[in-house]
Amino acid sequence: MITENTEHYSTTPTTILKRKVKKEESTSQKIIREFCKKRTAFVSLIILLIIFSSCLLAPVIAQYDPLEGDIKDRLLVVGSEGHILGTDEQGRDMLTRILYGGRLSLLAGIAPVLVAGLIGSFLGIVAGYFGGIINTIIMRTLDIFYAFPAILLAIGISAALGQGINNIIIAISIVFIPPVARIAESAVKGVREEEFIEAAKSSGANNFSIIRYHIIMNVFSRLFVYCTTQISISLVLASGLSFLGLGVSPPNPEWGIMLNNLKQQIFINPLLTIIPGLFIFITALAINLVSDGLRDALEIKE
Amino acid sequence: MIPTLLGVSIIVFLMLQIVPGDPVNSLLPPDATEEDRQRIKQELGLDKSLIGQYFSWLGNTLQGDFGRSIIKRLEVTDLLFDALSNTFILAFGAAIFAFLLSLIIGVYSAYHPKSWIASLGNIIGLTGVSIPNFWAALILIGIFSVMLGWLPSTGMKGVGGGGIGDTVMHLIMPAIAVGMTTLGVMTRMIRSSVVDLLQKDFIITLQAKGASSFIILMHVLKNCTPTILTVAGLQVGYLIGGSVLVETVFSWPGVGQLIYQGISQRDFPIIQSGVLVISILFVIINLVVDILHAVVDPRIREA
Repeated sequence: MITENTEHYSTTPTTILKRKVKKEESTSQKIIREFCKKRTAFVSLIILLIIFSSCLLAPVIAQYDPLEGDIKDRLLVVGSEGHILGTDEQGRDMLTRILYGGRLSLLAGIAPVLVAGLIGSFLGIVAGYFGGIINTIIMRTLDIFYAFPAILLAIGISAALGQGINNIIIAISIVFIPPVARIAESAVKGVREEEFIEAAKSSGANNFSIIRYHIIMNVFSRLFVYCTTQISISLVLASGLSFLGLGVSPPNPEWGIMLNNLKQQIFINPLLTIIPGLFIFITALAINLVSDGLRDALEIKE
Repeated sequence: MIPTLLGVSIIVFLMLQIVPGDPVNSLLPPDATEEDRQRIKQELGLDKSLIGQYFSWLGNTLQGDFGRSIIKRLEVTDLLFDALSNTFILAFGAAIFAFLLSLIIGVYSAYHPKSWIASLGNIIGLTGVSIPNFWAALILIGIFSVMLGWLPSTGMKGVGGGGIGDTVMHLIMPAIAVGMTTLGVMTRMIRSSVVDLLQKDFIITLQAKGASSFIILMHVLKNCTPTILTVAGLQVGYLIGGSVLVETVFSWPGVGQLIYQGISQRDFPIIQSGVLVISILFVIINLVVDILHAVVDPRIREA
């Protein structure tokens, strides 16, 4: 007599089929399920989405002009009527400026990671796959950039290029290329000796298609997670450069420069002064938590 | 190390080359003749080729001549070295704060993962890497200068001025602000490496032999020193770099303040020399860390 317990051992085709159907779940579904299990990561993602979408929709949400203020209403405290987050030193609505400013701050956080992610991965994959003299030239050249403290290199480049968000993005991209390339290179080196690469080679695949179909597929998740952790660093770095006056020119809003403009008011209205920084901090923190969750979901070891 | 330093000098030199605008134009009156242009160009050495310019710039720099500040009309070298000592004081204070506290919190939370200190360590590890240090500086001023009135927010007089007590009072808040990120990174790292070590066979053997917890702690510390050194060496760069931003908040008379003024006045020789000198120091510090590695870790010495 077959009881439920012995079902494990039965090898009739129908049971095998049943078991397979039960376990069928695509990798992406599994990753999403694992990610949503982590409550902090999930909540952070929602907070990020709220910040991103409200900054994008700034013209719809904001009720004031980001550049024009009423000088009579300057430095209103947080929670004032009509100005939930108060007003700045020129009487402009803080919430409006935070929303408009966030567009540039977030752009300056994400764009360098995209640029450096593409260029750095390309250099690292080429160096790791071909090895030899190509590897030496690429990696030793990039090593020089490690001799600079990141923030100083970024300051030097963006000061030389002149004021502007675009130049900040270029500067931070240059700072991020070497570490991305290093990660890509070491990941590719690990994959290069695998048997499936050898199999692809012996079946006549050329370098381009091996890199495209085998190498990139195998190193992508590691690079992707690494790049997401860099977004928060990039955001803080960009706001730092902007804080030094290398970003947008006044009166345009951006979180870093807003913090700099308000820093003199710390003795008059301390709570108001820290608001732009609070947004930088919350966004960076949320990005870090999301990328931690992603790393766990993708099961990547540091 | 020499190739790295040469590479650094090339990059810093190239930074000057991408500055938009012709430096000759800014020095000449609008009605200057072509002859004047050539004369100024020759004086500045701009008539040479790019490689020639690089070598004459490198020669001057090696002799400690960083050129003249465009705005202040002063030798950059003089400005820089006063500022450098102040930045060192700040980075040193931040290093003591971050290294000591991370060691205590990291080791303690590895031993007692359920304690409140371990939770504090978690929070520090998480916030430390996300917090912009210039913002942390403002919050500290808001709490300790504005609300409590305990600490001065500005007015650091620099080396030799005001005495040690005065300097320390001025140092507390900037040092915490600068050291915060390092504290977060190091706490995380020390905890995880101590947790790993505590599960190693030799620690279990020690426990089985009945060694005191102090002796076990000494074994743990000795074995995680190389890891800590590597990260600490890299963090020194962040500490000096981070002070650039924090100095502007506290009006700390260091290299960061100098670079900040250089940016707002478009005084490029100052920015360039500041970046160059700090980067060279960073390279030297990392070399010292490598040497220290060999001193504390016999495995590296014998390899």
